[in-house]
Amino acid sequence: MKIKHRSWSDRIYVTFAYTVLVLLCVSIIVPMMQVLTVSVSPVEVINSYGFHLFPTKFDFSGYQEVFRKSIIWTAYGNTIIRTVLGTALTVILTFMGAYPLSKKSLPHRPFWTALIVFTMFFSGGLIPSYMLIKNLGLMNSVWALVLPGVVSVFLLLIVRNFIAALPESLEESAKIDGAGELYILWKIIMPLSMPILATVSLYSAVGHWNAWFDSMLYIQDEHKQVLQLILRRIVIDGTLDPSSGVTDSMDKPVNTESMKMATLVVSILPIICIYPFLQKYFVKGTMLGSVKG
Amino acid sequence: MKRNRLGKAGSGLAAIALLAGMLSACGEPDSSKPAEGADSSEPVQLDWLAYNSYAQPDPNSNIFKMVEDKFNAKFNVWYVDAQQWNDQVNVKFAAGEIPDVLQIREQIPKYVANGILAEIPEEDIQKYAPTYAKVIDEYDASLWNTVKYEGKIYGLPAINLNGDYAQSTIWRKDWLDKVGIDKIPETLDEFETALTKFRNEDPDGNGKKDTYGMSDYAIPYVLGAFGMPANGTNYVMKDGKIEFAAVQPEMKKALAVLHDWYEKELIDPEFITGENTGGYWADSHAFYNNRIGLTGNGMFYHWRNELFDSEDAGGEQYQNFKKAQPDGEIAFGVPPVGPDGQSGAPQWGVNSVPIGISPKAAEDPRKVELFLSMLETSFTDYDYYLTVFRGEEGLDWKKNGDGSITKIKDESDANASFKRGAQVFNIMENPAYGKKELSKLYEFGESVKTKGYPPVIAPAVDSLSQYSGNLLKLQEETYTKIIIGEQPVDSFDTFVRNFMDNGGSQVEQDVNEAYRQMVSE
Repeated sequence: MKIKHRSWSDRIYVTFAYTVLVLLCVSIIVPMMQVLTVSVSPVEVINSYGFHLFPTKFDFSGYQEVFRKSIIWTAYGNTIIRTVLGTALTVILTFMGAYPLSKKSLPHRPFWTALIVFTMFFSGGLIPSYMLIKNLGLMNSVWALVLPGVVSVFLLLIVRNFIAALPESLEESAKIDGAGELYILWKIIMPLSMPILATVSLYSAVGHWNAWFDSMLYIQDEHKQVLQLILRRIVIDGTLDPSSGVTDSMDKPVNTESMKMATLVVSILPIICIYPFLQKYFVKGTMLGSVKG
Repeated sequence: MKRNRLGKAGSGLAAIALLAGMLSACGEPDSSKPAEGADSSEPVQLDWLAYNSYAQPDPNSNIFKMVEDKFNAKFNVWYVDAQQWNDQVNVKFAAGEIPDVLQIREQIPKYVANGILAEIPEEDIQKYAPTYAKVIDEYDASLWNTVKYEGKIYGLPAINLNGDYAQSTIWRKDWLDKVGIDKIPETLDEFETALTKFRNEDPDGNGKKDTYGMSDYAIPYVLGAFGMPANGTNYVMKDGKIEFAAVQPEMKKALAVLHDWYEKELIDPEFITGENTGGYWADSHAFYNNRIGLTGNGMFYHWRNELFDSEDAGGEQYQNFKKAQPDGEIAFGVPPVGPDGQSGAPQWGVNSVPIGISPKAAEDPRKVELFLSMLETSFTDYDYYLTVFRGEEGLDWKKNGDGSITKIKDESDANASFKRGAQVFNIMENPAYGKKELSKLYEFGESVKTKGYPPVIAPAVDSLSQYSGNLLKLQEETYTKIIIGEQPVDSFDTFVRNFMDNGGSQVEQDVNEAYRQMVSE
């Protein structure tokens, strides 16, 4: 269908929308180009004024250094492990927690719900959390990164509301056909809940991929630390003036800018490759539960 | 923002640390304590945090073995994030995890109150580390004041050899030549002449009037010509009293000069955002890009333009400059001399991060002896010092005929020597050995050494941490506005009143009180 006659207000609106979108794209693409260019440029180009959007001279010493730094690859592995493990656990536990809460027949349902929601408003704080992890013997292991946030109340409630909105008659008919409780959960509820579970796993995976503070706190062994922490350490290295009270040693080698940017590229590349395929779930996921037809 | 949050967490530390201490005291027995009647030949166990933790050292390395055998000790070296040191260790301390020997990166009174630091008796220092104590006495006996609290010693002062050298004053030598100045400027007037010519006589020869004299890194040097490089909330000592440098009447005169220079376009208008546009702090992009001809802030080893051998390319910033301007030349200058004959560049000061011991280490005389003997050995045994500081001979360095060393760069891993255990057990730098091992570098440093203003050694007070954010902002804003002429120079007097009323007087009162307490025997 083709709209032939557009009113002025329509045209203004479309022009405005496209301008904003183009500006938005530029604001995202320009820093990306800058990072890419700096990562392949020699120091004299990096230190010169102006934007560096297209490489004029090539120097891959930054990438050479990154590929020699074995810690980056170890950290990569750790991040993948924690993301996969953490996401799987989150999805399973959130679903298993949400399902009973969605059942009106659950005894004392408001009480259990309130008990869980209660934890949204209070947190133990940094030091008690640390002591808890330590006394549970989780220090220095991947469980310290996975278990503390394994069930998020927010996601649990979303899933609960989603399941509660499924027509009860589906379950009843399954029962009439002789299905047991577990069979209903596995064969009826679970397949119908796939969209919401995809959303939960995305939220969880992105959270795990980006997290670094817990790794800094609970992991003492450099070889067990996650990518974002190593990345952070590499990127902010050398930017603080020692007269501001930061210790500086002339013996400590400082990472070059090209190496910092090369590290950034290496660590975001997989996400950039995967993201376009996952994005639709994000959009779907946030719409879920908003309007029901 | 995060700093704030953790700052709050820090204030809660006291109570929790005490509580945790009590809990662990009546809980299970501390495994690090020697059992009753333990054999005295058993190695001493030390939880170690007395190093910079640039990389995680390998506990099976040769250096670990050497030190452990030499002192009959066993080390549990903590690895914490060097950039998040306080954030990370404060949580551990609050949870009751305290090492035996540690760097003191917070205020000593705070650590003492939280039961993290124990007194180190002076007799013990004299008995087990006499050479070290003598070195400190000779270097600057007032360093002992920095580690005292209520008359007792709670840490061992460390010396940062580089802090003895003022920050460098760097000129574009080829620009000076081009505008016909053959003597490196020394006085404020000579500085003004040179900078004016840089602005007006097109020293980079591109036919455009796009050069300036200086930018933000040189501003403290001009302030220094009037008696102090006032910056943020740093102090100055006046008649035995600690005062804020930023509110001194001399600074009004200095700001008048800077404003005049700004009006004459000698100062790059972009000084507000800084001449360093990212990356390593000592880099000056305005200087690399032919925008200004005078810079500073970096140290002699950053800008070293004298080459020691054929493979040597000079200091890191000198190399960056040469790559950007292959035909450019630099020269080391001196900070400008002001109308009253004062001059000086900012200087870090030799006072470095002190080392302390925790109560659990202080209880065990073997631990105290071990730690002090290790320190003493690094002040008496040059080869031991080189190994624990520089790494393995042959892998990380080789010795030259005169006793100095040549560092061997590991191409595959810049942190290789740290992983092999270098800079873990040296506890602190030994200035005499530092000058010996890098004799050429420090000879060069001496040759370009200028006058400097080391920071006033003052105890930190709570009111400073409370007000410093606002005071800092007020100072920076006012100085910038006066320089660019948005406020008249006379508004300095109003600024002084504001500054003092908004916490300045309170801090001065507290800091002088604490200072008297610190130095009182």
